[in-house]
Amino acid sequence: MSRAENQVDGLLGPEEPEVGCDDCFAALDRYVELELAGEDPDAHLPGVRAHLAGCLACREEHESLLALVADERG
Amino acid sequence: MGGVLTATLPDVDSVMDPESRAWVAALAGQGGDREAALDRLHALLLRAARFELGRRRGQLAGLSAAERHDLATQAADDAMMGVLARLDDFRGLSRFTTWAYKFALLEAATKARRMAWRDRELPRPPEDWLAMADPDGRPEAAAEHAELLAALRAAVAEVLTPQQREVLLTVVAGRVPLDVLAERRGTTRGALYKTIHDARRKLRAHLAEAGLLAGEEVRPR
Repeated sequence: MSRAENQVDGLLGPEEPEVGCDDCFAALDRYVELELAGEDPDAHLPGVRAHLAGCLACREEHESLLALVADERG
Repeated sequence: MGGVLTATLPDVDSVMDPESRAWVAALAGQGGDREAALDRLHALLLRAARFELGRRRGQLAGLSAAERHDLATQAADDAMMGVLARLDDFRGLSRFTTWAYKFALLEAATKARRMAWRDRELPRPPEDWLAMADPDGRPEAAAEHAELLAALRAAVAEVLTPQQREVLLTVVAGRVPLDVLAERRGTTRGALYKTIHDARRKLRAHLAEAGLLAGEEVRPR
């Protein structure tokens, strides 16, 4: 993806309805465990995936939690 | 934005796993059991904070080992306060350890971002922020987007409030982390993201009205 396309995505954000940062944080642990269980977390927690697409800070923390818990469970 | 999750959260206290239940009971209790649980919790949070700082090694290259240790300890300390303050919020929807980890990751990530920017002025987006040369992009792809880029640039200038424009461009074009901008402005990440969210909705609606967003419904404003 080119830099211009990245900027367009960043400026327009996700198309779908999304939760805010606080709701994302509240849901993040369950979201990650659903992912690790092979379920579709967005079916249980609508709006989190869209927020993670639009918010770099929350996305980084989601990636870290997923990696940490996956690492711990081997 | 917000409130999307409310209707989907069941009352699942009854399905809390035994290990999580033991954590909550010990932390909510008294005496030696609680002290032991607090020690174990701090060790768990410190491990998560170090994990996060390890992922950000490049960002923190200027820190000594002692400074990294202090940063991890501060993150674990602050995360512990967060966990204990919100212990009643834990409903057993995940394992307790997963729930607790996220507090340490948040604290460590936020501190690391702020540390990386501590002596830096926030950049002002260049005048040509959306027309910058794209050395990696194909010329024909840039041409395909020319109309959208022009309209988007105009919409940012004309449709957004000055506050929305500054926050959106500082974060997206200036690549300033939300936590850093929030600290400089004395606000929260969530409040700034709401500003960005509202700005994006305005831009999307404007471009959809102009027929420039494929598949996007034109929503009444």
